[in-house]
Amino acid sequence: MRGRYTASDFYVAPLESPPSRRPPITSVGPLGWLRANLFSSKSNSIATVIMAALILWFLWSFLSWSVRSAQWGVIYHNLRLVTSGLYDRQEIWRMELVAGILVLLSGLSLGVWGRLARGVFIAVLVILLILVVVPVLAARVPEPTIYVLVEPQRPPSDFVFVGLKGQEVSFTFDPLTDAQDADERLLGFVESQARTEWSIRAAEVRAGNLDLGQHNLAVTLRLLDRQGRPLTSQAGSAVGDFAADPAGGALSYTLPADGWYVLEVRRDDSVNGSVGDNAGYAWIRVQGVETFASQEAAAQARADQFGQPPAVERALFADENSYRFEGARSVAEFFSLQVTPLFSRIVMPCFVGAALFFNGWVIGTLGRREKIVRRAVLGGWILSAPVILIILRGFEGSRTLPLVPTSVWGGLLLTILLTVVGIVASFPLGVALALGRRSELPAIKWTCTLFIETVRGVPLITILFMAKQIVPFFWSALSGLDLAIRMMIGVTLFSAAYLAENVRGGLQIIPYGQIEAARALGLNPALATTLIVLPQALRAVIPAIVGQFISLFKDTSLVAVVGLFELVGIVDRIVSGQAIYRPYQREAYIVIAIIYFVISYAMSDVSRRLEQSGAGSIRRL
Amino acid sequence: MAETKSSEPIISCRGVNKWFGNFHVLKDVDLDVMPQEVVVIIGPSGSGKSTFIRCINRLEEHQEGQIIVDGIELSHDVRNIAAIRSEIGMVFQQFNLFPHLTVLDNIALAPRYVRRQPRRTAEETALQLLERVGIPEQARKYPGQLSGGQQQRVAIARALAMQPKIMLFDEPTSALDPEMIKEVLDVMKQLAQSGMTMLVVTHEMGFAREVADRIVLFDEGRIVEMGTPEHFFTNPQHERTKLFLSQIL
Repeated sequence: MRGRYTASDFYVAPLESPPSRRPPITSVGPLGWLRANLFSSKSNSIATVIMAALILWFLWSFLSWSVRSAQWGVIYHNLRLVTSGLYDRQEIWRMELVAGILVLLSGLSLGVWGRLARGVFIAVLVILLILVVVPVLAARVPEPTIYVLVEPQRPPSDFVFVGLKGQEVSFTFDPLTDAQDADERLLGFVESQARTEWSIRAAEVRAGNLDLGQHNLAVTLRLLDRQGRPLTSQAGSAVGDFAADPAGGALSYTLPADGWYVLEVRRDDSVNGSVGDNAGYAWIRVQGVETFASQEAAAQARADQFGQPPAVERALFADENSYRFEGARSVAEFFSLQVTPLFSRIVMPCFVGAALFFNGWVIGTLGRREKIVRRAVLGGWILSAPVILIILRGFEGSRTLPLVPTSVWGGLLLTILLTVVGIVASFPLGVALALGRRSELPAIKWTCTLFIETVRGVPLITILFMAKQIVPFFWSALSGLDLAIRMMIGVTLFSAAYLAENVRGGLQIIPYGQIEAARALGLNPALATTLIVLPQALRAVIPAIVGQFISLFKDTSLVAVVGLFELVGIVDRIVSGQAIYRPYQREAYIVIAIIYFVISYAMSDVSRRLEQSGAGSIRRL
Repeated sequence: MAETKSSEPIISCRGVNKWFGNFHVLKDVDLDVMPQEVVVIIGPSGSGKSTFIRCINRLEEHQEGQIIVDGIELSHDVRNIAAIRSEIGMVFQQFNLFPHLTVLDNIALAPRYVRRQPRRTAEETALQLLERVGIPEQARKYPGQLSGGQQQRVAIARALAMQPKIMLFDEPTSALDPEMIKEVLDVMKQLAQSGMTMLVVTHEMGFAREVADRIVLFDEGRIVEMGTPEHFFTNPQHERTKLFLSQIL
């Protein structure tokens, strides 16, 4: 029933519309984003908190492990092996040349065709900045404390180091009188035998059976120069003649000249009358002394300047291997022991690479409108493949480019080579197989189908073994072929079969109307395929194709089983073959995982960009 | 329309038969089309009218009878097919533009690769054709960015770029929104007035009445009735024609 209208039932809006106001702060900006995405509901909030906690916990444990106790030296001491395998040591410059060529070409191409110039430019700048900043920072970080252990079971070692004039070094003598104050450090630097002994003793201390304070540690420290002469302090007495003091003590000394020094450590077992009682542990903490990545590195770096290090019986060297660390380590120590050595190795190549890239980019940008420059860059890429192979392989009997057989190629070089050859060769082959499988001619169709299904039905490892063993047996011409090349063929055939199926999937989604339209316009089948069908089909299956390429990249690790040492193979060989690296498999494999991840992620990122570019992003069928 | 017709038919079909498997789609179809003539083919769904015009540029293959286009008989000879296809433009119900190419590239593609014109010439012609169908400003867009009516007009321009003697239209307005039908029909009318030989399968009776020189009614794979629009709409003879017209008018 309709009632009577009152004045409030009628309304006319004022002429001016009210001014627009800002939305509430909780619905826009970062706060709004958080609210809308992470805390939109109670269950979402709980999930966010739990997941964030899990991720943070994982990240924290990983970071703290990698900073405080991981030994990354297993990789950076073996950088040559990791990057190039058993490639001849004196021919490594050829790999550097190849890398230079590729970097220059990449810079040129980016300048000529790149639309992402700004992002890449920033990325290069950031990398350069890190390369500059980290060594500078690391130089400001004080050298880590070096711990020399005095233990009851064997005579103490002397300690050898390099000192500079005016440098202040300090030695702290620190007896371990209860179980706790030693545990942390002992778990750190000390070789395992001493650690075992200590842990037994510490258990006794904890149980109350042993009072370490009762044991005497009569130790005399003296600072000697390279000739073994004791240095005298300003007061005239020999430096650090400081004898047993259960409370410990410290001395510091400003070095008078550049050169090698020895800290002589003498334990006076006669003080207590009986050797057995002289059973205490003590640390001598050395501060202000330069550490080296390894004894060899130190000898190499300093021998020119200061001559050979002094020969001392039972010397401990101020190098990282002597003080290999498995316990807690400070961030500063992480920088000086782990980061700086790596940077000192890669900083020059990175600078050269960045300079080449940047030059290429500038030339490419300036010349992008010139047809000659564009053609030259394209031609450069095409030429680069044979040129690179010739540079890497060389010729038999040549003096400048002696033959380096592919059987010694390895590491990242072999991985990338197998991947690039696999991609470049399997792509056209895969497309041809896919088209062949859809052919109207039964002979071609059945042959292609047979090949695809056979290869897809067999594990890659079988194909690689066949390429190594069986095929040369049947076909003697192949037995002379390099193993690496046979592996390339195997990987290519395998990848092509999968690629063919991916491409066929793309061909199937092209509506028949497209082909009819092409035919109605008078395009012959070949033109219709190359101009109309393939561009659309390939674009539609870019993610699948790139996915196939990524798994090809990862599958190259399988060639290790037929005796080629690509990235995984060579690292496996390092950690299993060299005794000193055996404890550091975790570090080694983590680095490999990171290398694989970075390359795979870059590939899928490129595929995403390809998908979003051009007509593909707005196609509607 | 054009009253002066030369005596030789440009398309001549004699006893055309076609089967899809066991299904007899076309039954003894005879049709002559004169140069510059506009023939509209109407009929219920499944009557074979689309199949018939698709036989004319050999998108479908007829099994019996004879189709002669501009003096060339359609046979298995690949060169004949290519020659005939370059004489005939076709416009599809679903436009079938190439979604990965710009409008300009869609139109210039066939002249460049089939007629081997230089890129610049082909693109100039393409722009003129876009002008003619009324959307020159869309040249750099992709088909997916255009409305249905615009896409169909691009499809017409694409067919015209090969300078065909004959244009086939296979229900060109059936997939369009009602307000876009007119813009496409206007282009087709203008094309008919310029003297193009056209074979149009359509349900647009207004267009048929206004533009057609002759109307052909297909039913169950054969031609039921054929005549001028006047004859067709005012004085249909066959029962099937009367029934068909009563249902759609």
